[in-house]
Amino acid sequence: MTSAALRAPALLLRAVAYEFRKRIQFRAGFFVREVLNGTVEPLVMLFVYTALYGSAAAIAGPGAGPGAGPGAGPGAGSEVGSDPGSDPGAAAVALGGWTYPEIIQYVAGLVVVRKLIFHSRALDLATEIFEGRVTKYLVMPFRFFVLHQGRFLQFTLMQVVVAGLVWLIGYAVAPDHWLVPVSAAATLQAGTLVLMGSYCCFLIFFTLNAMAFWLDVVWSLLVMAWFVIGFTGGALVPVSQMPAAFYGVLSFGFPYWMITAPIELLMGRLGTEDFLFGAALVAVQLVALEVLRRWVWRRGLARYVGAGM
Amino acid sequence: MLEARGVRKVFRTFERVPGLRGILKNFVAREHVDIAALDGVDLRVERGESVGLIGANGAGKTTLVKILAGIVPASSGEARLLGRDSFDLRDAEKRRLALVMGQKSQLWWDLPPIDSFRLLKEIYGVSDADFAERLARFASMLDVEDRLKIQLRQLSLGQRMKMEIIGAFLHSPEVVFLDEPTIGLDLISRETIRRFLVGLSRQRSVTFVLTSHDLEDIEETCRRIVVLDQGAVAFDGGLTDLSQRVTGKRAVEVHVHPNARIDEESLVAELSLHGAELAGRSAGALTVIVSAERLAELVPRLFSLLEVKDLSVERQPLERLIREIYRRGIKAAEGGER
Repeated sequence: MTSAALRAPALLLRAVAYEFRKRIQFRAGFFVREVLNGTVEPLVMLFVYTALYGSAAAIAGPGAGPGAGPGAGPGAGSEVGSDPGSDPGAAAVALGGWTYPEIIQYVAGLVVVRKLIFHSRALDLATEIFEGRVTKYLVMPFRFFVLHQGRFLQFTLMQVVVAGLVWLIGYAVAPDHWLVPVSAAATLQAGTLVLMGSYCCFLIFFTLNAMAFWLDVVWSLLVMAWFVIGFTGGALVPVSQMPAAFYGVLSFGFPYWMITAPIELLMGRLGTEDFLFGAALVAVQLVALEVLRRWVWRRGLARYVGAGM
Repeated sequence: MLEARGVRKVFRTFERVPGLRGILKNFVAREHVDIAALDGVDLRVERGESVGLIGANGAGKTTLVKILAGIVPASSGEARLLGRDSFDLRDAEKRRLALVMGQKSQLWWDLPPIDSFRLLKEIYGVSDADFAERLARFASMLDVEDRLKIQLRQLSLGQRMKMEIIGAFLHSPEVVFLDEPTIGLDLISRETIRRFLVGLSRQRSVTFVLTSHDLEDIEETCRRIVVLDQGAVAFDGGLTDLSQRVTGKRAVEVHVHPNARIDEESLVAELSLHGAELAGRSAGALTVIVSAERLAELVPRLFSLLEVKDLSVERQPLERLIREIYRRGIKAAEGGER
């Protein structure tokens, strides 16, 4: 028998390898789920923002500078709904502190960041509880959670590769509009925040899945949580573009530091001080979520009936 | 090694009232119902014992296994495994135990068994040498050496169950719980699995707790039988004890000429004079049940009553004994004797 201290990392690595095999078992499913998934919303955002900035530029008039706003009056040179990308006036219009080129970069950043975030579909714990498949793990000499940590690790490692490929493809297709990080340090900081936030998501989804010990249906909770995390993080609108009161509240939540803030770091809108503050904030929430996960899991186990055995 | 003292388990559920009114009522106020799966079970299993748990559906066999293995907690009473509260086992105790579920796979469906075995090797901390030796030996004993690298979902039911059993024994457990391990298997697979279990039990004095509806499984692998009826122990003892305590009867199989004319009414009357009863009849055979003490007087009488071609005396089939226990249990319960 090998020692327990050596066994834990070895088991984690084995779990990663096992999850990897499971994940790429079905090739078509892998591409649809992990590579193509998450491309529709950014496209919708792109169309909506293009229309918004086009309209704003038309209202602001030709040559509208950074100071120009809706109050500058309608301009004669820009047609409502024109392409703001080719209109220098529109490029200068700022909505909620974001210009059109910046928002395009944000959407590009969002495409990449979303690939890295652990999503609810990556866990099937609730089904395992409902169907009694958890039973086999309960008699094994290990923490069942290690298998799921292995899944998170495997997910992250693979998604880093996928995100890298997506970034390369985006850069090759639209180098002038694509988000290019301002520095290697910013990339590292952004990556750290995204992964910390992604682990928070993982803990939340694990906890919600564990609610299957009490509830018959948990998928609606998972869908709701995914939507709330996305919205409050900036998956639809950058949090810093939201009204100040919302921004003031949401900027304390990990979703903001997982989506909006990392992209702003990559763009150079935020700096190292912001990163340090955000990392500390997310670390505290991560610990709290871990405590909650353990508590729910223990309470849930006491209610487990081992169905189907 | 394994002990249950006054173990009770109550599952709480709620009744769903049918119809539209029922749906509304369920939505507003649910009526909870407590269902007692186990009602004060006492059991002690020593090292190396092989115990067969028998009972009708809902008798509480699986619930008892779940409690003893530490999967679910008891509502009251005490369940201990390897000297510790079953629901509070540490890794050290878990490493000494295994669970085989006939209706649930322990291995991973989408992977070949060899991948699952490697993960189990890490979980149980089995050394490379032990892993290789045991895997080769068990795969050979169960005749599945050439199936280890095939995706589990593509294996037959029998092959899958053999893989489950290999997975359960890779870490050389001391206590093994088997819940319906041969369910749905063909005769040959069942035989192979039973031989495997008996062999390991003898070689390594593994403690087995086996639940099965297939009484042949129990007869061939267990020396001790525990019969559960409505959540309580109705019988606990050896197979021979069971036969003696419950009925002490023998089954006499009488083979006659297929066209022989038998007056069944007078035969039954004659048998009853010897305390025997006609338990079954086919074209060329009769089964007569008689107490062991009166066997000697009955057999010559059967030769004089019938044109006997062949005759054999066997211990009463276990299945019949179990049925007798249930019948007695129910009768006793009705008479308030239990």
